[in-house]
This record gives sequence, C-alpha cells and structure tokens, in this order.
Amino acid sequence: MPDDFVSARQAEPDVSKSLLPQSCQLIIFGATGDLSWRKLLPAVYNLNIDGVLPSHFAVVGFGLPAEGQVAGDADDYIRQRAKDGIRRFSRQPLDEDHWADFARALFLVPGSFNDARAYALLKAKIDAVDQQFGIPGSHVFYLAVPPTLIGTCVEHLKTAGLISDPNEPRAFTRVIVEKPIGRDLNSAVDIMQVVGACFAESQTYRIDHYLGKETVQNLLVLRFANSIFEPLWNQKYIDHIQITVAEEEGLAQYDAATGEMLATRAGYYEGIGALRDMVQNHMLQVLCLVAMEPPWSLKPDVVRDAKAGVLNCLRRMTDAEVEKNVLRAQYIEGDINGKRVPGYRKEVRESFEVMKRPLPSESVHSTTETFVAMKLFIDNWRWAGVPFYLRTGKRLPKRASEVAIQFKDVPQILFNDHPDVPLEPTVLSLRVQPEEGLAMRIASKLPGPKVRIYPVKMEFNYSSSFGGTTPEAYERLILDVMAGDATLFMRRDAVEAAWRFVMPILDHWERVRVRDLPEYQCGTWGPVEADRIIAPDGRQWRTL
Amino acid sequence: MTETQVHPRSVPLREVERELLRQMKQLQGADERPIQRARMANLVIYCARQERAVQLYDEIPEVAAVHPARVLLLLADEESPSTELKATVLVRPLRIDGRGFGFCEQVTLEVGRGAVHHLPFAARALLIGDLPTNLWWAAPIPPPFAGPILHDLSECVQQIVYDSLGWTDPARAVAAAATWLDRVERAERSGRWRVASDVNWRRLKYWRRMLTQALEGAEDRGLFDSIGEIRVEHGPHAVVQAWMLMSWLTGQLGWKVRGGKVEPGVEMAWSCHNATGEPLVRIVRREEGPHEIQRIRMGFHIDGRDSLLDLFVQDGRRLAARVEGVEEAARTMTIPPQPPAELVGRQLSDRERDPVFRASMGVAQVMARSLLE
Repeated sequence: MPDDFVSARQAEPDVSKSLLPQSCQLIIFGATGDLSWRKLLPAVYNLNIDGVLPSHFAVVGFGLPAEGQVAGDADDYIRQRAKDGIRRFSRQPLDEDHWADFARALFLVPGSFNDARAYALLKAKIDAVDQQFGIPGSHVFYLAVPPTLIGTCVEHLKTAGLISDPNEPRAFTRVIVEKPIGRDLNSAVDIMQVVGACFAESQTYRIDHYLGKETVQNLLVLRFANSIFEPLWNQKYIDHIQITVAEEEGLAQYDAATGEMLATRAGYYEGIGALRDMVQNHMLQVLCLVAMEPPWSLKPDVVRDAKAGVLNCLRRMTDAEVEKNVLRAQYIEGDINGKRVPGYRKEVRESFEVMKRPLPSESVHSTTETFVAMKLFIDNWRWAGVPFYLRTGKRLPKRASEVAIQFKDVPQILFNDHPDVPLEPTVLSLRVQPEEGLAMRIASKLPGPKVRIYPVKMEFNYSSSFGGTTPEAYERLILDVMAGDATLFMRRDAVEAAWRFVMPILDHWERVRVRDLPEYQCGTWGPVEADRIIAPDGRQWRTL
Repeated sequence: MTETQVHPRSVPLREVERELLRQMKQLQGADERPIQRARMANLVIYCARQERAVQLYDEIPEVAAVHPARVLLLLADEESPSTELKATVLVRPLRIDGRGFGFCEQVTLEVGRGAVHHLPFAARALLIGDLPTNLWWAAPIPPPFAGPILHDLSECVQQIVYDSLGWTDPARAVAAAATWLDRVERAERSGRWRVASDVNWRRLKYWRRMLTQALEGAEDRGLFDSIGEIRVEHGPHAVVQAWMLMSWLTGQLGWKVRGGKVEPGVEMAWSCHNATGEPLVRIVRREEGPHEIQRIRMGFHIDGRDSLLDLFVQDGRRLAARVEGVEEAARTMTIPPQPPAELVGRQLSDRERDPVFRASMGVAQVMARSLLE
C-alpha cells in the first residue's frame, strides 16, 4: 500500500504545476451585469496584458442590459462597457494597443436567459467565433447570474447542444457557477442537482473568489513549505484562531460629491445576510485551508478531500449553543471615511426606491444581519478544544480580511509575571485584503537597562516585496478553469457540508424571530454584544 | 537614487494607506530591497489649536525616535468652521542614534470645531492592528473635562498620556483627575488593560529621587515628625507639578490633610497633622522663571534647634540640596534635559500602572477637595 501510494504520486505530477490554459471561448452569462463589469472583464483584460491567455481565445457575452434592450451594435455595446469597467477597476491601466487586441475578440449575444431562441443565436455565435479564432470547440460557461436562474441556463445549454461529453478528448465544456449556491441546504442541493444533471462534476467549477487570492493560496505554502509552522499548528501550541472579514462598504454606494446612491446590493443582500453571504462560503473555505491536514499531493481532489475533512469535523450547534456562540447585528448610522452614512434599514428603503421596486413587507423592519460573530470548534485530534472565532461585518472601520493564529501564552513567570500588563501573545496574521501579506507579532526587549518588553510586528507585504501588482483572484481562477485545475474550487460535498454546519444557526434564527437585532454604529468594530462570545474565554477580538 | 525626504500630501481618507506605502517606497528607492517594516505601536495625538499642531509636528520625530510608532495627529481646530475632514500623509525619515534610518508614518487629520465627531472613526480605521495604541492628549483641557471625544478616542487605547502642566483651575482639575484615573483604568472592555499617565509626574522623577536621598535616614532620627513647614516655589504654569510633588511627599511622610486655603495665582496652603504636630505645606508661585519647580524648603527641628533643608535648581542643570547652617558642600544631582517629546516617548514605553503615582493622586485629590470645600 505505501509503495503504491508513493508511485502514484511520482507518476502523476501535481496538476497545478503541469497544466496550462487551453484554447477556448469564455462565454459569460450576465455579461452586462455588475460582476462582469467590475471583475470579470477587467480580469480577462489583465490576463491578456500579462500574456497568459491561450493563443486561441475569445470572449462571448450573453444577456441583456438592465434597460432591457441593447441600443445599437451589441458588440460595440459590450466593448464600451468593458472599456469603462477596465478604466475604473482594472489592476493595470487601460492601454489602447492591448485594448484593441482584447476588443477584437469580445462579443455580445443579447438575449434573455429563458428564451430558447436566444440560445440558438448564442450557439451560432459560438460556432462562428470558434471558426474565426481557430478554437477547437472548447468552451467555458461562466454563470454570473442569480442562483434562481442557474437551472434555467444549464437546461437551455443542454437543449441547445452546447455541452460536450466530459470524456470528449478534443474539446471540453466547463461551467463556472458563482456563489451563492442556494440560500439553504435544500436549495443548494437543488441547484447542484440541476447542474449535475447537465454537467459532470469534473466539468463543474464552483467559484469562491476568496480562494483565488494570493494570501489564501499562500496559506498552504506557509504551512507546508516552512518547517517551523507545521509542528506548532495544533491544539498544543495554538490558543485560538480568529478569522475576520471586515467590509467598509455597506449595502449601497454613493457619489462622493452629491451623496446620490449609485449602486445597491439590496436586491441580493436583503434577506440573505452576512451568514449566508460570507460565513457559509468564504470564511468556511478559508477555515478549511487553515485547519486541514496536510494533503499528500496538490492534485485537486486530494486538496479538496483534506478541506472536506475539516468541514465534516465542524461541531454542529444546538439551539442553546447558537444562542451562546453566535451573534448577529445590524449597522446603524455612523461615520465612514469622514462622512456620515445611513443605517441599514434606511439604506434598504432607499435602495428599493431607487430600484423602483416595492419594499417587501419583511424588509420594512429588516432583521437581515450585516454582522456575524461566532465561536466554533473542529472536533478532531489536531484542533480539539481550540476555539475558532469568526467575525464578519459591513460598514466596519476598514476593509480588512485576516486570519490570525494566536499562540499560547508563555507561562506567567519571568517576563510575563505582571498582572496589570500581561505580555501580548505571539500572533501570526495573514492578511487576505486589501494589502496581501503576513505579519508576526513577537515580544521584544526595549533598549535600556530596565527589562521592558514591547510587542513588535514584523511585516511582509506582497506588493512591495515582489513588485508589480498582485493578480486579482478572478484572474487566477479563470485561468485555472481554462487549465482544468479545480483545486481552488468548491466540490459539491464541501458545499453541502458547509450548509449543513450553517443550517442549525439559520433554523434557530428562523424559529426565534426577533423584531430588532443588536446594533453597531457604522465605522466601529461591531456591537458590544459581540464581546460576550469571546470575553468569557478570557480573550478579545483583535483590532485590525 | 534614494530620496531622503518626501513631502506631505493631502489625500482622501480611503487613500491614506496607499499613500503611506508609496511614500515609504519612494524613500527607500525604486530598485532597492522591498519594504520590511517592524512596527511597535500606534500613537494618536489630539490637539485643538493650529499652533499646537505645528509645535507637535516638530516634536513627532523626537517621540518616534524614542518609541517608534505610527502617528495619527488629530487636530480639532477650535477656530475653524470647516466640516470636512482633511487627511495629510507624510512618511518621515528618522535618524536613530546617529546610525541607520527608521521611518515614522504620520497622518494628520484635521477638522473644524463642528466636525470633531469624525475623528474617532477616522482614527479607528487607520490604526495598525495587533499593536498597543497610545493616546497623547495634547489639548489644554484636562482629560476629566474633555467629554465624549476623549471617551471615544480612548475606546481602543492601552495608555492615555496627558500633561497637567499649565492646567487652569488646578484644584477642580486635580480633584477630578483622580476620579477619572480610577474610571479610565477600570473601564476595561473584554480584558483589555489601560493605564493613564501624566507627563508632569515623569518630570518629577529627579526631584523625588533627590528628596528621597536627602531624607534618607531621617525617619530613624525622628525628623519626619519634626518638620514644621514645607514650602515649594514654582514658576508660572507649574502649580500642578508642585502640587503632585507635595501630595507624593505628604503621602510618604504619612501626613493627613486637615484643611487648605488658596490665594489664586499666589499661594496654596494646607495644614496637615502627623504624630506630633500640625505641619504646613505651602505652594508658592513665582512670577517669573521656568515652568517648573524652583525650590523646596523644609523647616524642621533637630538637636534642639531649628534648621532648614533647602533643595533648589542650580545652573538649570542640577538639583542641589543643603542644610542651612551646616558647613558642607551641597549634594547635587544632574538633571538630564527633559524635552516634552522625549518625556512622552519614554512614557510610551512604560506600560505598567505606577502605584506611587496613583497613591499620590489620591492624596492630591484630598488636598484639592479641602480647597474646594
């Protein structure tokens, strides 16, 4: 058995090291939408500038703009929109030469997702583009659409004959499914079943863009490429772990000069909340990378097995434990970047006015949580008794996502014997955004005759250390799909396991309906009530 | 080519971190090694006047040279009607001990009197996580009377440093300070510790040392109980400094305060009692001179005669002590220069509660109440 194990590893080089993106078309469903404008098209443009796209490549957008119809030439429309998005959001500035090269391979098929005729037009366009760019019939469908439309899209794709056999050697079809995958376990299973009926698991890439961030990937390198960390990475040396995803943004975005609402996520976020939006996917995925056992290879399924191992060990909470270990809250009026910003409920009301949609009755006194803090445990040998504190919220003082590993205190003798000023424990923090990097807080003696200990934070910053700009997560992930590397994508069983962990919390909240949630002012680190999750353990939330 | 200086730049608040990094890189040079930062602390400085901000601007490198920190200089300009928050970024190179360079990240946040409430939010967003945060309260108003702004700013700080030098209405301020110290140090949220420190107390270090040495062995000889009067003379603005020294000394001598009276701008006096009598403590203001204690005279009775211990500042650089009528050279102690910035810098490194300071403030409060009654 061990010999087979070793020879299997030697025979198959790690996928991530060996695969290159293959010639294909990227077909973006919802190409006229917000995600495409802000993230996807700028990401593909950056890949083009960096020269990492396959030689035979084109992008075809599919969908209708918010205004309903495309005025004028559809290709011109998407090119203008892409140019605008690149100008605003691209990591690298718009360069006219590169733009011309990129634009000539960018097209739009305007059409509704539930219109069979539109799929016929889409198929015709895809075939024509294959011909024009010498693409061997390989297609990546990026479903940047709401979860309710996923089933419709994949069924139409199948009917239109746009999905190839997963074993087809010459050309591939792959589908990228955006989060959220469902709004609870049942709906997630439904979505995955409907996708699974049309695409094989090997063709399905469930994207969580957090996993494409350099620091998240660097977690594996940090743990398994440095000899000093892994021996300490367990309940014997680690006191606790905090994972924080802090957002500065609220529900809506405003014009800095006029205060006018420019965009709102209310249509998606209201009724969803932070637990579903952040914890169930991003944070649990990051947790997996922090807590998983060393995989024996970097092959996608080996890594994904290790991650699933963590999710399967998450301790499910009883009602009493949810009450004790989970806290939700909602932001009220406060201050961000020197400006007064409204509270959540007001933003919801104004958002629906702007969207010209009636305010749902349950949103009049919305109890959608914009902040969640929780304590959880992983019941396995490595992590027995080590609390993981997760915290996420909107309208916090700064945009910052970090994983902090706090090591156990040194004994309260020698340098740690003063009851008033206990030594700050050693902390290794991995910053996921905005400036990706890592930092180590250690205790150091201040110069001078007296023994005075002070914490020092040694910092390593990606962008300033390696020069240039770090690729956006979407760039890496789109490239991985073209290369057929599913390591950084969520497998079906992992999605289900994450929902299974979250469901007792959602169910409890559903049962104990409250009229008002605890509140926190915009621009603060959350409600004081969040302390009750961590303070009784003698610990405290970190300030980032 | 490495630049040795960058210029302050005003940026929108959300661009501050990026600008800090840009300036840091500019100072280090485009083709040189990556930026590696070792950071120790955050220092938030609050002031309320433009001219004080200018003064602090000059002092910041001295503070940071003693105790490296990211500095957030908050100016709530009493005279400005502006409601906009303005952020100015400057990375300042520091020469440390004449050897290598360090950097001081400085962010100045400026608002008018009507927009002070923006400052705690803005400061919160700019603190470096995982590191102690200190607040230097550099406004003339004593912390106990500062109101919500100090409360909000101190929410996430571990040390509040203030300077009682120049407090007006000292009796009321001193009386409130002791209570405030109790409150601020106990108001710990979720296990965080917090201390408050007065730079003026730190200035007294050499006076206290000198007094301790001068009175060494005096208790055994019964001198403590024979002291009839202690008179402290101080320059303008140094009344609280003199007061703290006297509260410390009376506490050390074991005296109890019975009552006090004040002649504003001239003198404060307290009658005390000890085992054998009712000694007097007087704090006398000199019209001119440095803003510090100038002289202490202690009258006592020994070997059947009255005598006087005289402690004074000699040449501005030494403390001297001599007993009148004794043909002995004065004992002297060199006082190193104590510029305010260096005092603050050193205070930042001292994070432990000072029980002697707290006990002295307790006595000072009793003395203050006796004046206010």
